[in-house]
This record gives sequence, C-alpha cells and structure tokens, in this order.
Amino acid sequence: MQLRARGLRPAPSPWLVLLAAIPIGLVILPMGYILGRAWDAGPAGLWSELARPYTMGLLVNTVTLAVSVTAGAAVLGTAAAWCTERCDLPGRQIWRIVTSLPLAMPAFVASYAWASLGPWFQGMLGAVVILTLSSMPLIYLPVAAALRGMDPSLEDVARSLGHGPWRCFFRIVLPQALPALGGGALLVASHMLAEFGALSLLRVQTFTTAIFDQYQMQFNPSAAALLAAGLMALSLPIAFAEMRLRHGRRFARVGRGNSRRLPLSPLGRLKPVVLAGFAGTAALSLGVPLMTLGFWLWHGSSAGRGVGTIVPALLGSLSLALPGAVLTTLFAVPLVMLSIRYQGRLTALADRLPYVVHGLPGIGVALALVFLSVHYAPAIYQTRLLVLLAYTVLFLPLAQSSLRASAELVPPGLEDVARSLGRGPFLAFLTVTLPNLAPGVGAALALVTLQLMRELTATLLLASSDVTTLATELWSYTGEVAYAAAAPFAAALVLISGVPVYVFTLRTLNVDEPR
Amino acid sequence: MTLMNRRALVRTGLGMCGAALAFAAKPGEAVAADQEALVLYSGQHRQTTEALVAAFTKATGIKVTVRNGESPQLAGQLLEEGERSPADLFYSETSPPIAALEAKGMLAPIEAGTLQQIPAAYSARTGTWVGSTVRCRIVAYNKKMVAPDQLPASVLDCATSAWQGRVAYVPKDGFQEQVMAIAHVKGRDAALAWLKGLKQYARAYNSNSAAMRAVEAGEIATALTNHYYWYSLAREAGADRLNSALHYVARQDVGALRTVSAAGILKTTKKAAITQRFLAFMVSEDGQRAIAGSVAEYPVRPGVASPFPLRPLEDFAGAPVTAADIGSAADAYALQREAGIA
Repeated sequence: MQLRARGLRPAPSPWLVLLAAIPIGLVILPMGYILGRAWDAGPAGLWSELARPYTMGLLVNTVTLAVSVTAGAAVLGTAAAWCTERCDLPGRQIWRIVTSLPLAMPAFVASYAWASLGPWFQGMLGAVVILTLSSMPLIYLPVAAALRGMDPSLEDVARSLGHGPWRCFFRIVLPQALPALGGGALLVASHMLAEFGALSLLRVQTFTTAIFDQYQMQFNPSAAALLAAGLMALSLPIAFAEMRLRHGRRFARVGRGNSRRLPLSPLGRLKPVVLAGFAGTAALSLGVPLMTLGFWLWHGSSAGRGVGTIVPALLGSLSLALPGAVLTTLFAVPLVMLSIRYQGRLTALADRLPYVVHGLPGIGVALALVFLSVHYAPAIYQTRLLVLLAYTVLFLPLAQSSLRASAELVPPGLEDVARSLGRGPFLAFLTVTLPNLAPGVGAALALVTLQLMRELTATLLLASSDVTTLATELWSYTGEVAYAAAAPFAAALVLISGVPVYVFTLRTLNVDEPR
Repeated sequence: MTLMNRRALVRTGLGMCGAALAFAAKPGEAVAADQEALVLYSGQHRQTTEALVAAFTKATGIKVTVRNGESPQLAGQLLEEGERSPADLFYSETSPPIAALEAKGMLAPIEAGTLQQIPAAYSARTGTWVGSTVRCRIVAYNKKMVAPDQLPASVLDCATSAWQGRVAYVPKDGFQEQVMAIAHVKGRDAALAWLKGLKQYARAYNSNSAAMRAVEAGEIATALTNHYYWYSLAREAGADRLNSALHYVARQDVGALRTVSAAGILKTTKKAAITQRFLAFMVSEDGQRAIAGSVAEYPVRPGVASPFPLRPLEDFAGAPVTAADIGSAADAYALQREAGIA
C-alpha cells in the first residue's frame, strides 16, 4: 500500500497503517459482499432496476429528505449554538443541556409520538420537521464547541476594520466553525440515508425503506443488494463533499490564543422571540414524546408485563454498548490520525469509506456479516465478539467525527518534539497526542454508546440468543401492540441515554473552555 | 492539565480498553452451551413462541434456545447461513418466508403422523412445513366514519373510485398473500388491476399496526389488514372503548382469506428426532392450547377452542385458496412492482 504524503512529513509508520487497515478491512468486507451480490443481478438487472419510475421516486424522496433535514438542522443548530455561546441569552447553561437532550430520544419513540398526533405530520413535510428537530443536536454540539473554543481576537480585528456583526459572522466566525458544521452535517446526512424506523411510521418511502421492503417481500438478496449499491453511490458524493469543505485548511494551534471570556452580543428586543424559539423546540422534541410514553403507560392493559426483565435487559444493553463503544473508538483513532497527519487520496478514501457503510440500512450490512462470518469465521458466529465488530462497522463515523474535532487541534510539531527527545512513535503518541485527544475520546465514547444502546437489527441477527437489550424488548412489545408493557423499556432507554448525552455535552462544550 | 494527570488518564484509558477487549473476546457463550438444546429461529410473536416452548420443555424436558426476529429477516439469515446454519427449526409468522426456504430445498420432510393431525390445507404440499395458527384477512373500519351496511362485500371493491381516499393498505405481511389469492382465483391481470386501483384510490401505510391505529384515530375510514391487529388493540385499550370494528367480506370472496403461521425443520439439523417431536407437540392438543391462550389467532387443530371471542372461521373465511397455493409469494412482489407500488 503506497501512501502519498504531502509536504515535508515522512511516510506514515507501518504500524499506523496496519492499525488503520483493521477497521478499513472490516468496513470493506460487507461493502464488497453487497457489491458482489448486486453484480450477480447483472447489468441488465441493474438497468431495469434503476430505470423504473418507482426507483426515480425513491431517489427524489431520499435526496429531498437528506438535503432538507441536513440544511434545516445546520441552520437551526448553528443559530442555537450562536445563541447559547455568544449571546446574552438568559439561562444559557440550561438551554445547552436542553438543546442536546433530544439525542437521548430514540427516533422510533419520537416519530411514534408525532405520527399518533394525526395525519398532518405524516408525509415528507412532517418527516423533514421531525427529523430536523431530532438530529439538530448533532450539529448544535460541535458548532457550539467550535464557537466556544474560538479566539475572539480575529473577530476584534474584523470589527475594528469596519465589518458589521453579520459580515463578521459570515466572514470570520462561520469559516472557523465550518469543519465542525461539516462534520455534523455529514453525520446527519448519512443518518438520513439509513433512517428506517421513523420513516416507516411517517409514510415516507426512501431507498432504505424500499430495501427493508425487499427483504420483507422477496427472498432474493441480489435485488435488495442492487438498491443498496444505489444507496452507496448516493453516499459517496456526500462523504467527499464534506472532505472538500475542509480541504487545505489547517486548524492546529500551539497556543490557545487569548483566553479572555468571549464577548456576548446583546439580543435586545429579540430576546423573548429567541427564548420562545428555544422553549418551543424543546417542547416539540422532548415534550411530545415524553407525553406519549406517559400515555402508553397509563392507558394500556399490558402495563407491568415483563417489568422483571428490565434489569437483565438494561445489563444486556450496557454489556454490548459499552465495550462496543470502546472498540469502535479504539479502531477510529488510527484512522483519524492517519487521515489528518498524512493527507492524500488513499487516506482520504480510507477516512470516508466508513461513512458510506453508515449510510446503508442495518439489515443489509447485518446479513452480509452473517454470510461472511458463518462461512469464514464460524467460531465467532453469534458471539459477543461478532456483534461488537458489527457495531464497529456500523458506527465508526460517529467516533471519527468526535475524534477529528480534537485531533485537528493537536499540532504535529508536538509529536515531533517528543520524537526528537528520544521517544519512539508509539510512546510519543501515548504520552503526547493521546492526552490531547482526551475530550474527543470522551465525546466519541458517549456518542457511540448512545447509538449502540438503541441498535436493533444487528443485535437481533448476530448476538447470542440469550442476550436481551432494552431495544430488543421494546421492539418485541411494540410488535405485539403491548404499548404499556413497552413504555418502561422506552423510558429506561431514554433515561440511560441521558447519561452519555450529558457526558457528550460536557465533553464537547468544555473543549478549550477558558478557565 | 498536569503531566501526572495525563499519565493517569492514559493509564486509565489503556486499562479500560484492555478490559473491554477481554470482555469482547470472551468466547463461545450460549451458542454451543447446551448440546442437547434445540435452536429455534422464531419470527412468531414472542409471547406465542414463549408459551409453546415453555409447554414443550415442561412436557419433554428438552430445552429450546429461541432466536427472535422478523420472519423475513430470519429467512434471509437462514439463506445466508446455508448449510452452516446453527438453527434446527424455523417458526415463521406468515407462510411465504418458510415457503421460500421450502422452494430452495432447505427443509426436511415432516413425519406423516404430525401432518395428519391438522387439515391438509394448512401445510405444505411437500410436507416440509406445518401450520401452527390461522389468521384471516379482514376490513377494519371506523364506526363513526362508515355505516355497517355501506361496507364493501368484496375486497375487490376497495380498489375502486367509490372508496377514493378511504382505504388504507399495507404492502407487507398478509397483503402479499392477498395479492396471490386474487391472482390464483381471478387471474394475474385481475390482481394487477386491483393493485393499480389501490395505488390510485387508496393510501399506503408502512405497517399494519400503524394502519390499524389510523383507523382507530379516525384518520382513515377503513384498512385492509389481519384480524389479530384489531384484537391486540382491543386487548390493550379495551374492546368497548374502541372506535373501530371488524368487517368480514362475503364468505366466498377472495378477500375472505385464511393465512397461516407455520414451522419447519432445517435439513441441516443434527437433531432430527427431537425436532420432529417439537413439531408433533406443536400440533398436539397441549401445544395448540398453549398457543391459543397467548394470541387471538385460530388454532389449526380441530377441536381446540381459542379463549378469545373469535367469530368461527367457517362462518366467513371461505376463499378457495390455501397457504400452499400462495407459496413464497414471489409473484406478489413482481405484481406490486408492475403496479408501481414497490
């Protein structure tokens, strides 16, 4: 494997390449399997699938959804971040937490709540609104962290040169926040490509819902793989667009700049409007789902059924999600370091591939892993190890995006100094780079844990049969329409998810906090 | 951050990673834990499977390890696993997924004694899967939105302009069987015309329970669905409090369809004798009683009564189509594609 290094940096250490090759290998395997299956259908099959008006409709829906939700969440998230970090908004600390909390709400619970409010929220418009609200924290948190870590002297210079507040925002602040914004937007966009649970309740058809339908209605893996390959083709440009956004920029600094408190802009007469906006968003994204949970519990005859299994399910969730998060984060570190330190085509591709898989529906990836493991690694089939590896394949980008935010701030010169003082590359990384990555590692662990707690498809197919998790119990009770029995499991999931969200919020927003 | 702090952080971090990996690598686990236990992949409602398995283990002392999932996904998993499948049995919520395995030659023949316990219409012609419960297609309607005397006599009427905007359909489980039944009785063109009519005049929902809820909430007047979705809702919320009710189309109509949940034995099993015992138990009086108590579906075994207030099947579900006629329903998907709803 030849890596093209730019600038004066030498070629990466073979160890780093080897360590990065493990997660890439894991990600390539299911991709290759899906492409191989799609190839079985032949070029004729490909054409007849893609040329159908139905597929065109799916394409339009998928793109509309991904673009609108990403744009909506970007605008809303950036505005919210600006208000909580740079404006004299009353109760900023509380709004920071409240704005992040929708992350703790599984999309399934949220969209069930919305769908039961009536048909108005069904269809594309409703889906865009609901998913924008629920994915907004993924943009809000990194952008808020970026705004907070920014050196205000650049803005001072701009203002002293006669830029107004808006011009200053667009020319100075936004470009500095762009990597954080882009990283968040990429996550949101690939989530939208893979979204299933929420959309199936809101009556919107996308590539992913169609792929689930295909697995549901015909037992022909090649046909489903064709659509999955189409979805991959959609993810690639998204992944690379974000790459272009950050191309050629450098963010590392040795000094932390001026550590004085950031100046707060007065909101003035807009204050009540902004406050109402925050309160309204919170009521919509948290209040409605919580009320629905309460209603389930109150009105169902199945209330109390299965309460005894709540503790084993909780332990089951934790016993998979925590090691899963550690493993995923561990694999993401070499990948991120390689792509930041040695920018080139190959490293860029390696860094982007996980996002493509992240955009695929869980069922396709899980079935690919079934085939691959049962045929080539039968010893680990349906063991904990395989589930954890599957989690890594599915959720690597979440760890990458959090780590990248921290890793980009570490100047390569720091490692060079350590090396020149006689430390080997590994020790230099451990003692110099890793401690600087700590906030990113914390954020990555929290965010991945959060998503793993609600993972369903891979857990059902790949975990050993005796494992139950909060997500599998919730699925099984809602499948029986036993909503009151499901409610405690949903509530436990929301509550326990609150912990990583809290950690994630603190970790992300305390990056470079002036002390 | 001081240097000591950093070192401590790195040490803790490395310790955590080590612990996690040790945890992750913990080998083997339950998969091969019990050599004697049967491995059952089940897409049936979990309550039902649990009731059946508990009764079986109580009667025979044989343990059963259950892997729960959606039937079609489990069928997909079995297809990917092929000859290396750890599963001994497959219990499917609907017949097409198990018929798909039958078509691929993955199922072993079931003992004649077991098949003879229940009507032949509920089993595979090849004798490789056997029915467990019967469910039927019905029209759920909102009592405030449609008068009972205005309800359609045939499911074919629902795809006409008279019902524009007032019918919900769910192109998933149960629906494929319905499409196949129309194609079987009235011909492929009639099925295609029906689907095109639905596309033009009816509303698609993505799940049966969502459609049922939409009818209950007054969002839409009627839904083409399976009978037990209404009973589940009735049990959860109380039947007397519901706005919705069940309508049965004319007895001989192609919409008065019986579908089955079914189970079969994987050819690759090494426990042929006890898998046969499991299926024999499933259709026995004890097995059927355990199943019937857990879900509002009809027992396949004549003479076993459901404790739920079900209307006798013979009164209404008389469409001349069996689960074996429907098969893996592959053509239903092709028809849906031609009609532009899949």
